[in-house]
Amino acid sequence: MFKDLDPILHSQLRLATISLLISVKEAEFTFIKEKTHATAGNLSVQVNKLKEAGYIEVIKQFKDNYPQTICKITTKGIKAFEAYVKDLQSYLIIKK
Amino acid sequence: MPNETLTELESLAIIQQMIAMAKKEQQDDGKSRIIWGWLLFSVSILTVINLHLQLVSTFFFWNIFSVLTIVLFVLRYFKSPPKAKTYTYDLYNKLNIGFLILICFVIVAMNVEAVSVLAGFAILMSTYGFWALIYGAVINFKPSIVGAFATWIFAFAALFVKSFEWVMVLHAAAVMAGYIVPGHLANIEFRKTAIQ
Repeated sequence: MFKDLDPILHSQLRLATISLLISVKEAEFTFIKEKTHATAGNLSVQVNKLKEAGYIEVIKQFKDNYPQTICKITTKGIKAFEAYVKDLQSYLIIKK
Repeated sequence: MPNETLTELESLAIIQQMIAMAKKEQQDDGKSRIIWGWLLFSVSILTVINLHLQLVSTFFFWNIFSVLTIVLFVLRYFKSPPKAKTYTYDLYNKLNIGFLILICFVIVAMNVEAVSVLAGFAILMSTYGFWALIYGAVINFKPSIVGAFATWIFAFAALFVKSFEWVMVLHAAAVMAGYIVPGHLANIEFRKTAIQ
């Protein structure tokens, strides 16, 4: 049924992460964790999958001597998200 | 949030929920405008009162205000940035930097007598209007846009006024229209959304 939907985005946490990142310029890992109510471990795995797909950029840096991870959606990620929403819309129209 | 596969409606719900959450994060509570506006308003009115009572020098309250502004900007500079940066946030920061430089420029111009004090305050008012217009457009907040035009009306009126006292009254009115009223309206809207 969902064979045409992007498998990278078609998972709760990855979709939530990309949906958050599409609305902002960049976000801290802790922000995404807070908003998605995910565990750090699970989110870390999903963020890595998005990064490997080239959908997001992950910047690791230090801020006030603490490690800070910043996530940013890439152009490829934006296109994938747009395509996903388009596919989703067509599914919903068919179902109606 | 578990990591399971979804139905199309669940996908849509997640997208809507996350975008709404990010949008809420970007909402302006109007507090900066309220503080800045009431400060400017108080200084204008105190200056008018002082012109009558002659308690301290004419620019006494403006000098205090300048020091306070520097302190506020320094405190703001050291405030940690939000966990999620938006394009609006970036633009807002750049707008504030430009605004601050422009204000400093006018203040210096007044102090070195490159422009008269009366004209200087009229220029300051038109600068407030410019800030309010851009800010209102960026966050799509109509009261700020309307406030910008009202501020410019007071700024133009100030060009034709020859008394410092009246310029101060117009300045207070401009600040009321450009910052205080839109700031409070933004705050009311923010609190309403926060309750929902």
